[in-house]
Order: sequence, then structure tokens, then C-alpha cells
Amino acid sequence: MTLLLFLAILDGLAYAAQVFMVAVGLTLIFGVLRILNVAHGSFFAIGGYVAATLGTWAAATAAAPVLALPVLLLAAVMVGGVLGPAIERLVLARIYTKEHVLQLLVTFALFMILEDVQKLVWGVQPIFQDGPVRALGQVEVGDIIYTAYQLYLLPGVALATLFGLMWFLRRTLTGRVIVAVTEDREAATAMGIDANRVYLLTFTVGTVLAALGGALASPTTSLVPGVGVNMIVLSFAVVATAGLGQIEGAMLTALLIGLGRSVAVYFAPEFEVVIPYIIMVAVLLIRPHGLFGRPELRRV
Amino acid sequence: MLTLEGVDVAIAGTRVLRGVDLRIDHSGRVALVGRNGAGKTTTLRAIMGLVPLAGGRIAFEGQDLGAVPAHRRTGLAIGYAPEERRLFSSFTVEENLRLPAEVLGLPAAEVARRLDKTYAVLPEIAEFKDRKAGGLSGGQGKMVALGRALMTGTKLVLLDEPFQGLAPALARRYAETLMRLREAEPELAILITESNPDLLKPMVDSAYLIERGEVHPTTL
Repeated sequence: MTLLLFLAILDGLAYAAQVFMVAVGLTLIFGVLRILNVAHGSFFAIGGYVAATLGTWAAATAAAPVLALPVLLLAAVMVGGVLGPAIERLVLARIYTKEHVLQLLVTFALFMILEDVQKLVWGVQPIFQDGPVRALGQVEVGDIIYTAYQLYLLPGVALATLFGLMWFLRRTLTGRVIVAVTEDREAATAMGIDANRVYLLTFTVGTVLAALGGALASPTTSLVPGVGVNMIVLSFAVVATAGLGQIEGAMLTALLIGLGRSVAVYFAPEFEVVIPYIIMVAVLLIRPHGLFGRPELRRV
Repeated sequence: MLTLEGVDVAIAGTRVLRGVDLRIDHSGRVALVGRNGAGKTTTLRAIMGLVPLAGGRIAFEGQDLGAVPAHRRTGLAIGYAPEERRLFSSFTVEENLRLPAEVLGLPAAEVARRLDKTYAVLPEIAEFKDRKAGGLSGGQGKMVALGRALMTGTKLVLLDEPFQGLAPALARRYAETLMRLREAEPELAILITESNPDLLKPMVDSAYLIERGEVHPTTL
């Protein structure tokens, strides 16, 4: 019993770290652009696929163990750096002033297109590349053998992302400019801030984070069509439970949902899929703006 | 220095400004007086490029502002204190003041110099410069919004209804601050909007009346 609970906690932490990487980008993008980006799940999936492809290539070289981890980051930067700016400039920039329903439909359409692009490029057979997990080896925690990748690397990257983002947003001028646009786009423009550039930058950062989430997840799971759907739905649950736009809140909520899910896996497996949504519904019934969200003041 | 010629603005299909002509000379202090909804705020937003012009032309020091995007206008040495303050609530007072100057890419020494100058005109805000802007009272917020406008507005500042909602004692303090600013920065041009003309009498040298989007010169 204690052993199972312990395992559930370790699994939950690793899982929460992955979900956080995707949810934090989603919430950052929503905070600035005010768009709920359904295609965010595609960035996760494509990040995973590109990481697996690059990883397979790296595994064939002599320097395989050294390359295994940098390849994950490279995949994320490639996917985010290409797809992020292209989609923001060519698609989203045209719909910022449109109704939310239309924005949602457009990002949903993007998601469907990218989903088929994945099938065209990588096919429908599961792809699995665990080079990074093997490169880090295993650790013994008490009587349990666990992978160092899930025990240290995933939570470590998630924490580094959280604190890195908080530092960036509070301490750098570019970060403060992003916060200013989030709070009040018109006032920020009147203070000399080019909001369009901030949108482009924020969307690209969010895209890189989702792709990194996918890259980090790829060595622990098989990539199959639909992997992006699961992640985007779960990330929406995290973001809504935390309160839209809440970065620190997304971390705590990812933990809550990640742990809730993995405890369910061990003790009540039939609830695995619904537990995140039960948590979300329970929170939103009591606090409609999320655990950390504030009701928005209406500006006329 | 600043000229508006036949400026038309429509918001959501309704004409809000109709052929507005307005002129501010170098170091001029101009009042724009009118009732709520007359178009005062829209006039200032049009100068800052925050609403598109349906017609007419705005020029600053001979340059047509139509070719200058909104976010470049503070770079022409124009400062703007919007109605309702619009400070960034999660920043401290000093971060709010610094932001527009830092966004312009001014060297650190120049930002510090402007900050000192601003605190010299507004000594009371130096006392709470490390407080979050979200926790300020209405009167304090108005002072900070004025200070923030001064950080970039070395040639012209636009003050939108600065006295609106201030208790009489605070309004007097704010008026004293503007008189102090006049002595400290005699070259600075100022455009102030207000619904109550009496408040502005001692501190402006010309005035316009705005009614239903139409502007005429007037005397206070």
C-alpha cells in the first residue's frame, strides 16, 4: 500500500511536469493574445515526433548518449521556431479582432490540419525512441528502481521552466513588456510598446514550450495519432482549473491533476481518465474563475 | 507644434469627432473643455494613434502622424496620461514610470535623469515609489499617471481629465503640481481635457470647447 502510494507519487510528479510544460504555454498565450489555441496540442505532438526522428538519427551515431538529451531541446526549438511565427503571422494575426467563436474554430481547424500532416509524415504506426531515458540510466529509491529521466530530468526541466519564466517576466524589460500588454494592450501601446511584436514573441515562446513538452514526453511513451488530443484536453483542464493566464497556478494545478491521475491509476484505474475533469468541475463549481484566477474587471 | 486639421473619427459606425481643428503652439498650455461624451478622450486617443482617423490629418512638428504607428509616438517626445490612469497594477510605481522610457531604449543614465526630474516635480510619488500601482488610491494614481507621461513627454503631454473624481483637496494638490511643472519645464506644451472649465483657468493660455464632436476656440 505505502509502496504503491509512493510509486503513484513519483509517476504523478513526472506526469505533472509534462502536463505543465504544455499548459504553461497555453496559459501564457491566452494571457497575452486572448486566444484559446486548440492547435497547441499539435505543437506537443509534432515536438514529440521530431524529437523521436532526430533521436533515432542521433542513436545511430557514435556520440549517441551525449546527443540524446540536446536533441530534445533542438527538436523543440526547431518546431516552435518554425511553426510558431508562421502560424501567428499568417493565421492568428488576421483574427485578433474577431469573435472568440471564430478564433476557436480557426485554431481547431489548424489542429485538424496539423493532425493530418503528422499522419502524412510519420504514418500511423507507433513510434518509440527511448534513447534519452537509457542515456540517464536508473536510480534506486528505497526498494524501487526508477528511471533518472522521470525522477530528476522531467521535474527539473518543469521547475527550471517555471522559475525561468517568472524571472523573465519580472526581471527583464522584454518580460515586463509582455506583462504590460497582458494587463492593458491599449495603455501599453500608448507607452510605446509594439503589441504585434509581443504577440509574435509570446506565441513563439509558448509554441517552443509545447514542443519541448512533447519532446520530453516522447522517450516515455509511444507516439501515435491522437497523442496531441489527449494532451490539449488535459492542458485545458489544468489551465481552466488554475485560472486562465495564471503561470504559477498552472504548476500547482498540474501537480494536483498529475497526482490525482496517477493515484487513480494505482488504486482505482477505472477513474484514470475522468479524475482530471472531476477535479476541474469541482474547482470551477466553487471558484468559477479557477483556483488562482480573478474575475476580470469589465472595461467599457 | 501639434495641429489637427479636419479630424474625423468614427467608433463602431458612429461619428465621434467631426472635422476637429485644433492647434497647440510650442510651450502652449491648452484646455479642451466639454461635457462627458463630447469627444475629449477620443481626441487624445486620436493624437496617440489609438483610434483610426476616418478623415483629416494630425501633424506634430510638421510631421504627418498618419505615417507614425501608435507605439512610435512616445518616441516623438509626446507623453500621455489616459483617463482612468491605466497604470500597470502588478508593477511598482517606479517600474510604471520607467517602462515607457526603457521601451524607447534610452540609456540608463538618461532614464535616471528623467526619473529624478519627475520626482522633483512630483515629490509625493517618490515616497511610495516601491509600492505596487494596483494598491494606490485614486489621487495617488493620477499623480503617477502624470509622472509616467512626463517620462517620455519632454515636448508635449496630453492629460485626459486629470481632475475627474478627485476630492477638492486632492484636485488643489494636482493643480499646484501642474503650476510647479510650468515653472520647472517652461518649454513643455500641455493639452488638458476637463469638464469643469473653472479648474483650468489659472493654468492654461488658450482653450477649445468640444460639443458633440465639434471643436471651437473659446475663452475660459
